[in-house]
Amino acid sequence: MKAWQWIAMAIALAVLASLPWWGSDVTVQFAINALLLAVLAQGWNIIGGYTGYASFGNSVFYGLGSYGVAIAMVQWHLPFAVGLLFGVALAVAFALLLGVPVLRLRGHYFAIATLALAGVMAAIVSNIPLAGQNIGLVLPPLNDDRLFYGLALGLMLVSTAVVWWLTRSRFGFGLIAIRENEDGAAVMGVNTTLYKVLAFTLSGVLSSLAGGIHAYWITFLDPESAFDIGLNVKMIIMAVFGGAGTVLGPVIGAFTLSAISEWLSSEVTSIATLFFGVVIIAAVVLMPHGLMDLARRARLGTLTWRYLGENVRANKL
Amino acid sequence: MDLLAQVLANGILLGGLYAVMALGLALVWGVLNIVNLAHGSFIMLGAYCSWHLFHYLHVDPFLGLPITAVVMFALGYGVQRGLLNLIVRAPMFNTLLLTFGLDVVLTYLAQLAFSADFRAINPGYAGSQVHWGPMVLPLVRLGAFAVALALTVGMWLFLLHTRLGRAIRATAQNLVAARLHGVEPRHLYALTFAIGIALAGTAGGLYGTVSQINPYIGASLTLKSFAIAIIGGLDNPLGVLVGGLFLGVVEALTTLYVGPTFVDVASFGILALVLIVRPTGLLGRTT
Amino acid sequence: MSALLEVRHVTRRFAGLVAVHDVSFALAPGEILGLIGPNGAGKTTLISLISGTLEPSEGEVLFDGQAITRLPAFRRARLGIGRTFQIMRPFPGLSVLDNVAIGALFGHRGGQAQLARARAQARACLDFVGLGGFADQRADELGGPGRKRLELAKALAMKPRLLLCDEVMAGLNHVEIEEVIAVIRKVRQQGISVLVIEHVIKAIRSLSDRLLVLHHGELIADGTPEKVLADATVVQAYLGARRAR
Repeated sequence: MKAWQWIAMAIALAVLASLPWWGSDVTVQFAINALLLAVLAQGWNIIGGYTGYASFGNSVFYGLGSYGVAIAMVQWHLPFAVGLLFGVALAVAFALLLGVPVLRLRGHYFAIATLALAGVMAAIVSNIPLAGQNIGLVLPPLNDDRLFYGLALGLMLVSTAVVWWLTRSRFGFGLIAIRENEDGAAVMGVNTTLYKVLAFTLSGVLSSLAGGIHAYWITFLDPESAFDIGLNVKMIIMAVFGGAGTVLGPVIGAFTLSAISEWLSSEVTSIATLFFGVVIIAAVVLMPHGLMDLARRARLGTLTWRYLGENVRANKL
Repeated sequence: MDLLAQVLANGILLGGLYAVMALGLALVWGVLNIVNLAHGSFIMLGAYCSWHLFHYLHVDPFLGLPITAVVMFALGYGVQRGLLNLIVRAPMFNTLLLTFGLDVVLTYLAQLAFSADFRAINPGYAGSQVHWGPMVLPLVRLGAFAVALALTVGMWLFLLHTRLGRAIRATAQNLVAARLHGVEPRHLYALTFAIGIALAGTAGGLYGTVSQINPYIGASLTLKSFAIAIIGGLDNPLGVLVGGLFLGVVEALTTLYVGPTFVDVASFGILALVLIVRPTGLLGRTT
Repeated sequence: MSALLEVRHVTRRFAGLVAVHDVSFALAPGEILGLIGPNGAGKTTLISLISGTLEPSEGEVLFDGQAITRLPAFRRARLGIGRTFQIMRPFPGLSVLDNVAIGALFGHRGGQAQLARARAQARACLDFVGLGGFADQRADELGGPGRKRLELAKALAMKPRLLLCDEVMAGLNHVEIEEVIAVIRKVRQQGISVLVIEHVIKAIRSLSDRLLVLHHGELIADGTPEKVLADATVVQAYLGARRAR
């Protein structure tokens, strides 16, 4: 990386790290949300962006993490850290048990299967008494946004570090090979089943930690919001908009889209949903390779309005 | 025993309706290779269309179906020609993502336009029933089932025996050959998608007579349609009919033996199970 | 000296079609074995049965005395079987260098653990096949002959003990064919045994120690190139060859 890139990242980190001290309460809360969404986007990036298995059901891991913390703290009176671990354990169990059969599917079959699983989990959880059934659970309150901000920031940095590690490790290269040509990868010695399951599990662990932190932070959860399928929409579009298969793309996508969504919401309430829908459509049609690709072109000096037209022309009938 | 018979009858009647819902999805998927995650939203829009015809213009829901079908046909043509066409040759993931986004937009706009209140289409004869042995069959549900059956058989005949139907199937198999035969692919694609959406909208109109509608019913209906399409296969409408009946009966039995809140668990669970066990479809091909 | 590869009575059916029928042969260490036959004879299927992309309906495959018949493809790769594909399978989004590095990372005995060393090994393989200058290009930007060499480099980076080459000379001109022949000879000098499928008769005649002929899924000849190519059955089955190269 060039010098100016290092400096830019250092400044961004400094700003982020110091936010709780100079930002307003609203800003801190916005940042926590954006950071957790960035974690989800990075989690998706691992299985969708790098391995090429576009999961439309990662919301399950988020939900499991949320409920893990909630059940541990509310029903069993265990500390938060234990709750987080419990959530991770649930996510890992899910990824291993259901990941193996589902990861045998390719392309859109995998996508639909994960969507179905997300639907099943949401429907099941709304029927379990331990999970408070349809009414949900209320966690013990902890009014320390700085702590949650620190946790969220830490988790985002860890997720990004993990993705960065993928780009320079044997494991990561194996995942990329699977994405580019799965049969070719197998013939060259990549244990594709093992790697896919590991990637899915890793993605699940990060998502469940985000869910756990979020649950404790907002103190309340119910099945619909914890297993919200709309989360899948958000995390995928943030990763894709920023740049799937890149290290920083999902983070930048998460912050950019969150910021615009916040700003729009202040002008017209509840327009956030519509916004995300429109962004997905526009991004998929005009810039399917995301912001990072736009940035790359800008650096090469080849970014013109024609770039958008090219993307369309290449893909239309 | 009587209760079981009644429940099964309910399931079958519902299943016929489900089959029509899935028919449009299977057509679009099998012919255009478009996996439409917004399918349920189009069903929802069709339901609202019928509801408006009924509520404001007092058009009988069954007689008004052709109008709904035409409106949805136009909508489908526009969406395909104007939007989906732009990404037809992109990787499948882009289609999934785009239709995912479309679903979000349509749901939001519906909620904006129609509010989130539950609505139902209740024609004067909504309370009438037909007694057949130990079973009580609501007239409206029977009517919906009859229409569903007619549409399914009609689609099957259309695809197999009409020129346009054969042109559609030919284009599905070989785009280049179709072009060589003078078929304008963009128009045919849009036409096919429009038919699929018209079917979805009609199903929605029928759905409105047997169940309540609100802007959010789309997501669950999409997943159910997928389950049926995958069970029944994409190349044969009759397979879709069987898939629909199967799902209808499963849901009815689940309601009876497990509980009404578990219906979605059953349907989505079946979808996941079928995909895991035999993704190439049970009755037909899906690849 | 025991055989490196043994194929025993291998049959493969595809829903009513018998692609390969009761084929048996052995390949000795350090040997270059040629495999020829008309189109549709089952050559690629046979290769796939050895590399693990397909499993036989009947019969056994042994590698270095070990039965590998039911092993998945990636395990056979780890044991030291590398192959090129007739329909080439690059990793399009990766650079040429990284394409080959995958082989170095995952090949024989699990490959390298370090990315840097894998890349160094990849560079060596690219130089070996003559693609050294293209290391940083995107794999999908290579032309036809370049892609053939890339396939070869990828397989070699795995440090295989047996290399299965599926029509690496198809579509090449005379000069390029000579270059590939030279590379394969160099490969054998490194101690790697080679099984070569080819249509270019002249090339395979000069290259192979022994020649196998496949016709309608059955082995109809197995011997030195001179003997096999003079065999009447072979000539009859393969009449088109005289008109080809």
